[in-house]
Order: sequence, then C-alpha cells, then structure tokens
Amino acid sequence: MLRIVDNDPGDTAPEPRTRRLWTVCCVVFFLGPAMYGFGTKFYELVRVFQGDSTGAFAVTPIVNYLLAGCGFLMLFAWAARNGMFRDIERAKFEMLENEHKLDEIKNFAPSHTYAASSRR
Amino acid sequence: MSPPVLDTSTANEPLTDVDRLVDRRIVLCYYGAALTYMVISMLGGLLMALQLVRWNELQGIELLSPGRWRMVHTNAIAYGFLANAFLGTLHWTIPRLTMRPVLSKAFSYLIFAAWQVVVLATAGGILLGHAQAVEWGETPVWIDPVAQLGLLLVAINFMTPIMAARGPMYVTLWYFMAAFVWTFLTYAMGNFVPQYVVCGTNAGAIAGLFIHDLVGLFVTPLGWGLMYYFVPILLKKPIWSHGLSLVGFWGLAFFYPLQGIHHFLYTPIPMFLQYGAVISTIAVEFVVATVIVNFFGTLKGSGREVVTNLPIRWFYTGMILYGITCFQCALQVTLTFQELIHFTDWVVGHAHLVMFGVFSQWLMGIMTYLIPRLVGKPWYSRKLCEWHYWLSVVGIVVMFLDLTMAGLFQGWSWSSMRIWDHSTQVSEPFWIVRIFAGLSMFGGILVFIYNIYKTLAGPVEVIAAKAQPAV
Ligand code: HEM
Repeated sequence: MLRIVDNDPGDTAPEPRTRRLWTVCCVVFFLGPAMYGFGTKFYELVRVFQGDSTGAFAVTPIVNYLLAGCGFLMLFAWAARNGMFRDIERAKFEMLENEHKLDEIKNFAPSHTYAASSRR
Repeated sequence: MSPPVLDTSTANEPLTDVDRLVDRRIVLCYYGAALTYMVISMLGGLLMALQLVRWNELQGIELLSPGRWRMVHTNAIAYGFLANAFLGTLHWTIPRLTMRPVLSKAFSYLIFAAWQVVVLATAGGILLGHAQAVEWGETPVWIDPVAQLGLLLVAINFMTPIMAARGPMYVTLWYFMAAFVWTFLTYAMGNFVPQYVVCGTNAGAIAGLFIHDLVGLFVTPLGWGLMYYFVPILLKKPIWSHGLSLVGFWGLAFFYPLQGIHHFLYTPIPMFLQYGAVISTIAVEFVVATVIVNFFGTLKGSGREVVTNLPIRWFYTGMILYGITCFQCALQVTLTFQELIHFTDWVVGHAHLVMFGVFSQWLMGIMTYLIPRLVGKPWYSRKLCEWHYWLSVVGIVVMFLDLTMAGLFQGWSWSSMRIWDHSTQVSEPFWIVRIFAGLSMFGGILVFIYNIYKTLAGPVEVIAAKAQPAV
C-alpha cells in the first residue's frame, strides 16, 4: 500500500543577508519597470474607452491581457494567503530530497549508465 | 478518494511501485514520436533551403510545393517535436516532483494517440492546401477543436497530481500549472478568435499575440520549468535562489502576455499598442535576466560539470544561447533596428536560435540523461552522444551567425533602394552555407537516433544501485 510521505527537510541554513538583499533588489529593479509598462497600458485603455477612435482596434488584445492579468492576480493572492511564499527556499530542498529518495530505490536509477559506455 | 501517493521511505521499495509513479513506456513513446517529427521537420527545412538556392527536385508537384513544406517544417517542430518531447518529459517530472502519478494511465495513452492524430492531420491538411491563415496556427480549422480538447485533457491529467500536492510549491510546478492554462487559452485565442470573431487589423493584433504567446506561454514556461528541475538534480545541489526563481515566474505571468504586438511594429496597429509591446518586452528582458542569473549562480563552484557532464553541457549551452537570443530581442524591439531587419533572414536566424539552440537543446540534454534510465541500459556509445552534441551545436551556431549576417546584408540592400535581385544575389552565399549548417544539425539527430537504436538493441546490464554517476 502506498502512503503519504512526510517531507520535512529538517533544519535548513538561514538565508544569508546578502542573498535576501539581492532578491529584494531584483524585485524592485526588475518588477518596477514592468509595473511601469502595465500602468502605461492601463492608462491607454482608459483613453480608448474615452473615445479615441483609432484605439478601438486595441480593445480586444488589451481586454485579453487584462483578463489574464486578473486571473494571475487572483492566483497570486491565493498563493500568498495559503503560505506559498512563507519559508520560500524550503521547496528547493524538499525537491532534491524526494529525488534522492527515489534514486535510492533499488534498480530504478541507472544514473551511472551514461558513463559506463564511455570507452566506445 | 485521494490519488495514491508513493512512500519512498524505504530503500527496498519494489520496482513495480515506482513504476506506478512514472510510466516509463509512455515517456519513450513520446520521445519516439518527437524524434520522428524532428527528422520530418529537418527534411522540410532542407528542402526549403535547397529551394532558396533554386534547386527543387519536386518542381511541379503541387502537394509538395515549397510553401507547404515550409509550414510542415515549422508545424512539425512546434506540435510534433516540441509538444511531444515536452509531454513525454512531463510524464517523468510531474510524478517525481509531486510523488503522485498522473490522473490516469489510460488517459495518458488516449492523449498520446489523439495528439499524434492532431499532428498527422495538420501535416496532411497543410500538404492538401487546408492550412489556416494564421502564422503558427496553420493547423486546419477542422482539427482545431480536437487539438483544443486534447489540451484540456492534458491539463486535467497533469493538474490532478499538482493540485493534490501539499505545502509551498516548487517553482517548476508553478511554471507547469501556468503553462497548462496558458497553452489552452492561447491556442483558443489564436485559432478561433481571428477565424470566427474579429477581422482586419484587430485579427492581426490577435495573431501577433498568438505567435509570441505560443513561444512565451507554452514553450518558455515548460522549458524553464524543466530546467529548474533537471539542473539541480544533475548538479546535486539546490537552485541558487528559489525566491528569485519565483520573481521570474510572476514576472513572466504579468508582463509577457502583452508583448506579441512587437512582431507587428510599423503596421496599422495603433502606435500606442506598439509602444506598449516595446515596454513590456523590456520588462520581460529583466525577468529573463533573473532566470539566467539564477542558473549561473547555481553553477558557481561546479563549473567543471559543464565539461564532464553532457546533459549539463547541453543545458548550459542552451542557457548561453538563450542569453544571446534575449540580447537580440533587446535590439529587435527598437523601432530603429526593426527598420533594418524586418522581413530579413535575421529573424529566421533568431527563430532557429531560440527554437533549436535553446529549447530543443534543453530537450536533447534531458533525453540524453533520461533515455538510459527509461530503458534501464547504458548508452551504447558515449562518443556518439558527443558527436550528437557537437554536430548540433556547430550546426546551429553557424546557421545563426550566417542568417544574422544575411539579414543585415538584405536590410542594407533594401534600404539602399537597390533592385530586389541585388538582395537575393547578396543572400545566395549565405543560403548555401545555411544548407551545410542544416546538414550538420540533421547529422546530429541521425547519430542520436542510431545511438538510441543500438542502446535499445544492446544487452540489459545489471545495474549497481548506488553507483556514482560519472557523466
Ligand atoms: C536541417 C536543419 C534545418 C534547416 C536546413 C532549416 C531551414 C529553414 C528554412 C529554409 C526556413 C524558411 C526560411 C524563409 O522562409 O526564408 C526555416 C524556417 C524556420 N525554421 Fe528551420 N531549418 C532547420 C531546422 C530547424 C529546427 C530544428 C527548428 C526548430 C527547432 C527550426 C525552426 C524554424 C522556424 C521557427 C522557422 C520560421 C522562421 C520565421 O518564420 O521567421 N528549423 N527553416
């Protein structure tokens, strides 16, 4: 019978400060300009609705985009509420642990096989 | 009832239980189909390349006319090679990441069969002249509903184990989840909206979104997701920063979908929309930078692996070419640069670089790693694996440089207002070089297929369970 695995990775080393700083910098500098792009688009959409005749062409792609964007915003909110971003580095250790466990299973991981034939 | 979950806490788990988790046969079936379509696509590419130097042995046969071969070439790659290779690899990756099998094995085989029908019908439809007038959406209109249904089934089959997994999700699963939703929506948007709902410039704008979203919301998330899985596993250490990888994911989610219009700069699509696409492209450049920084951060301290570990070499070669592709994008997206390179071979070089140089090479690396595990035998020949790598890489790099230069010469010829024939004369040497570059890539694939065949035909070797990899 198959059972559920408890994947507690145990203690993981605390994040070094520099790395956290890096992540924050990336969020600010990478997402900042992107937010600017989004804001500009939204402003243009408002203008289209206010009667810019040439802008009528643009409504379909922008509405498409806004629908997709709203969907992702909701997903983002759901993820944040459900603790997906808490202990943010944990998942990467768990993933490796699971893989290691699977590779431990007899006969399943002929990982050496690639090199075994290197003489040819 | 919740789906069965594998307990891996004991090292002596019977093999059959692990096989319940990953169905290796379906992965192999997908890889077989993918490589078959790669051969067909490359034959189509070679025929097109020969046509461009006015050597067409099929002259006069309407069914095999160059325009149709060209569409077979691109569609066989997108829906035949990439989709099949991705689907096969997902059957390995998702169960191992979630520790849960996909929804249903029978379902998996049904999807496999249905997808091959879709691809074959697309090839047949194109050759018979039924192509839909949407770039990359040439799948004939009568097969679109089947393809759409197939994508829905794919999403259901894979989302079941993902949704059942608990705790904060690894970035790969975020990418996969998004890809299933995006691909379904993108396919519907590109194939049905311009066909039945809107027309004219509006349809053009939608088609622009479709071409780019297919690359960015189907191929990119699956490719990146797979790299976030395979690179740490092969390097035996976690990704440099999981937080940064999530910044990349959410950045892609919010800022990718609007940049498709950058394919249509200088068209009658309203200028503000074109500028919007330019800005969101720049935003995505930043997002891409987070991904590249993360992978090279992970490699830090393990640089030798790139020399000794062939799958890792495939991955990081793809990564470098990815950087080059994105650098090109930064140039291409400016209106000034577009003036020079639009409609030239520069774009064709760019397309080959990203489709073959990046995503196909990542998939080749994955296959090189997985095939021995799938068949339970070592590679017949490591040397042939090396040949596969070098023929492919040399081929694509030469093709990319060659077409990039061809594009510049064509652009300069057009902008100097010389007669059209001048630009084709200038292009001819480059087109000849392209044929040889293509032959090199084709040779690589043939070598790979031969190696797989010999590996399958070889004797089963008893495998020591904990032998260390020396890849
Ligand atoms: C044997 C190797 C190959 C040769 C000789 C070749 C040749 C060609 C030719 C002649 C074209 C048409 C260019 C034009 O219309 O001016 C083309 C287009 C294209 N090929 Fe290939 N190709 C090869 C392999 C591949 C592979 C492996 C991929 C993807 C993984 C690929 C992706 C594409 C794409 C995306 C286009 C469309 C480019 C555009 O519309 O801008 N090709 N190829």
